[in-house]
Amino acid sequence: MTPKIIKKNALQKTIKKWLKSYDLIAPAASKEGIRFKRITDPKEIVLDRYQNSIYPPKSIFLPQSEVMFNFENGSYTMPEDAPRKRIIFGMRPCDARSIWLLDTVFNKAEDLDIYWGEKREKALIISIGCAAICETGFCDTVGSGPFGEEGSDILITELDDAYFLKPLTSAGEKLISSLPTANDAQSKRARAIQKGSIVKDHTPADLGKIRDRLYDAFDTPIWKDISESCLGCGVCTYLCPTCFCFDIVDEVDRSERVRNWDTCMFRIYSQEASGHNPRPSKAERTRQRIMHKFAYWVDNEGVSGCTGCGRCVAQCPVNLDIREMVTTITSLKIQ
Amino acid sequence: MDDFSQVRKEAARILSKKKVDLVIGFKKGTIPLKAQPAFISSPDDVEQLILDGFCQNNLAVFLHDEPKDKRIGLICRACESRAVRALAIEHQLKRENLYLIGVPCSGILDWKKIHNAADGQITSAVEEGDQIILQVGGKKQTLKRNEFIVDSCRKCTRREPVGVDILIGEVQPNEIGTDDLTPTWGDKFAKKSSNVRYKLFTEETDRCIRCYACREACPMCYCTECFVDHIAPRWSESMVTPGGTQAWHIIRAFHQTGRCVECGACERACPMDIKMVYLTDKLNDDMKEIYGFEVGADEEKQPPFATITLDDKNRFTT
Repeated sequence: MTPKIIKKNALQKTIKKWLKSYDLIAPAASKEGIRFKRITDPKEIVLDRYQNSIYPPKSIFLPQSEVMFNFENGSYTMPEDAPRKRIIFGMRPCDARSIWLLDTVFNKAEDLDIYWGEKREKALIISIGCAAICETGFCDTVGSGPFGEEGSDILITELDDAYFLKPLTSAGEKLISSLPTANDAQSKRARAIQKGSIVKDHTPADLGKIRDRLYDAFDTPIWKDISESCLGCGVCTYLCPTCFCFDIVDEVDRSERVRNWDTCMFRIYSQEASGHNPRPSKAERTRQRIMHKFAYWVDNEGVSGCTGCGRCVAQCPVNLDIREMVTTITSLKIQ
Repeated sequence: MDDFSQVRKEAARILSKKKVDLVIGFKKGTIPLKAQPAFISSPDDVEQLILDGFCQNNLAVFLHDEPKDKRIGLICRACESRAVRALAIEHQLKRENLYLIGVPCSGILDWKKIHNAADGQITSAVEEGDQIILQVGGKKQTLKRNEFIVDSCRKCTRREPVGVDILIGEVQPNEIGTDDLTPTWGDKFAKKSSNVRYKLFTEETDRCIRCYACREACPMCYCTECFVDHIAPRWSESMVTPGGTQAWHIIRAFHQTGRCVECGACERACPMDIKMVYLTDKLNDDMKEIYGFEVGADEEKQPPFATITLDDKNRFTT
């Protein structure tokens, strides 16, 4: 597929053209930093290379709270507003990868989640690679990288005066077919930037070995030690772009059935009606989180469930660092 | 802290003499601008203990999960010592099983503000007197420590640890830069009309993601079942809607009335940078004005809303 170019001073014009047929979601300034918002003025877009959004863009396809249907007198009606075609512009490869991973949960044809599927089929993801891995990022050690391609329809490499666009799907190719083609010098420069983004002291983690050693440690007391400072809040799971657990409740006053994000880090997550809790302490819950990310995902899909985005590392109120925890348990490095 | 070695020595002493089985403090974090809570059970490990402006948690919160009969040493700044007192009064711990090592505090730093002020990616951050020295992409960048202290510490007037077993270090009365008189967010809020205040409140709560980091970081939130998790009756919905989220913030603040020790751990734990200290500050001010009660000031006095006496004034009907 032919790479294309958007000169930096032509970006706004190009986006305004897209806005005629698509809704645009892109990173914009917010009180907590950067957040993915619906953009009507391309000037609002923030492509700060050192910062990702705090709130993960999985919320675009799996909203934190979503009305599933309304019910009355024994029958139900589906929500009315069908999403328009959307372009998600400016996602980072770690987040695009997270959408690709969550597609295996919500978007498999034989097991389709209609709420996810309807939004997903109408969305194009244009991601932008990172010239340098961010402070707490470790995407390149968990099977991805700052120019990872999974989940994206188009991947942008930022050059000095232009954006270099690599289409990755036919939908992406179609969107940018009328743009000028990149020349050899630009392609060469893009490759150099992509190569230069790899951090020299990061090595890909041995995910299979990590999985095995996690299983070996399952019944040992190490989980209690590493979870001692865990507060049991939901920061890591809610900010994680691949955590997808949800809770379904009926808001009877509004006759709505609602799906909300849930977190295995809360004590009540696994609390049973009898009062029994199969994960009674932080040790079991922390074990569950780490095993899910680095063992069960590997078992089920052959890839790590963690994309190395680093949000949990940056935002955990007690600086529990999942890289350190995995290394403590397995003696294997995961930068 | 300048001479933390004395604190480490004391921690080693109480561990080797078996006065306590565990010392809770802080150790170096895995990335710049962070520190991790440390749980030390061997005198050989006390070298890990540190205390600096990046130690953003209230360590008293970790007493919730420990058995009451366990003997624990706690390295306490003033707000942590107030929390221990408040928890003791509420029967959440046995004071006689704790050994409190009081330490002075120069105020906790706002790591996000430092992060945003840096010219690039920070590889190291060290406090040196009234400066913060950053290494940013191989270059040195210096910041004025004074300008990066969190609001709750800037407003702090009770800097001396209370009820401690030993105080190591001198508490300077104006150790924190009170010469920084720029109004805090809460100061500005208080001056606005009620319509504007409601708008500001709704704007803050709008980005709340109900992660409950504020609740879990708070030493005074120890309920085994929080009201938000109660199903029947449903006090507050779990959806991220304005109604449910505003109820969460308001009711938590009210549950903290006269109990909040004003440490600011809630705001520092919040990943979405939501202001909330201004709510409990106001309620605490009211408690002081109406009932003359200040949490942590006394070893035995119950918070007014936790107790009832025959000569209570019934303000709602008279």
